[in-house]
Amino acid sequence: MPQLTAPAGRLRRGLTEPLLPVAALTLLAVTAAALDAAVLCWAAVGALAGYALSGSV
Amino acid sequence: MLFSPGWRAPVRQGEVLAVFTLGLLLGGVLSAAVAWLLSGLAAPLPSSARAMAIVVVAALGAAREFGLVRIPLPQNARQIPQDVLQIRLRRGTLQFGFELGTGVRTYVSASSPYVLALGLLLSHQGPAASLLVGAAFGAGRALSAALTYLARDPARDAAVSLRMPWIKSATALSTLAALALLLAPGTDRLG
Repeated sequence: MPQLTAPAGRLRRGLTEPLLPVAALTLLAVTAAALDAAVLCWAAVGALAGYALSGSV
Repeated sequence: MLFSPGWRAPVRQGEVLAVFTLGLLLGGVLSAAVAWLLSGLAAPLPSSARAMAIVVVAALGAAREFGLVRIPLPQNARQIPQDVLQIRLRRGTLQFGFELGTGVRTYVSASSPYVLALGLLLSHQGPAASLLVGAAFGAGRALSAALTYLARDPARDAAVSLRMPWIKSATALSTLAALALLLAPGTDRLG
């Protein structure tokens, strides 16, 4: 595995920030609810529930 | 630890992650199927009452994560044995993911999965929608492992541990906001 340069490492770290999926899934769930897309809203809520257990693995 | 001894190990970590994710998806789908079967018991209740109950449960989940109420969680207080991963890597990883994906074979330390389970029971959705939500739960659970794999950062586990209280609180609050908006009085989205 080649050594990452410092900016690439920072970018990778930023893109894999643990709170980022919460923000993205929240946006998806709330937007789906507002648009009356019930199944998509429930799916986003499901993904949030799964992600809430991140510390277990 | 799924990726022990780390991303530098000679084993194909991407394959381990794929099998683990498949197990999580299958486990989530199985639990959702059970929830769908049981949700028929809630069907006779008026949809407005079921919608209100779902929002109340979501509010209690959020209140619990913010420390406003103390509600013990009825979890299976055991760990999946580590030797599951040591006998046969692929089969063991699939079993490990499946057991985690069901959400009933080990610790469940956050409120949101309980809100989701009760929400599925009370909303009595169609089988396809329920199974999709179960798969989404498995995918959400796989997301952190996937990000750990992609991050290639030995310090990421510590970063996740540091943010776990925020993650739990934010997911519970987001769940409440989304479900309250979806099931607001007058919308009648439970049929």
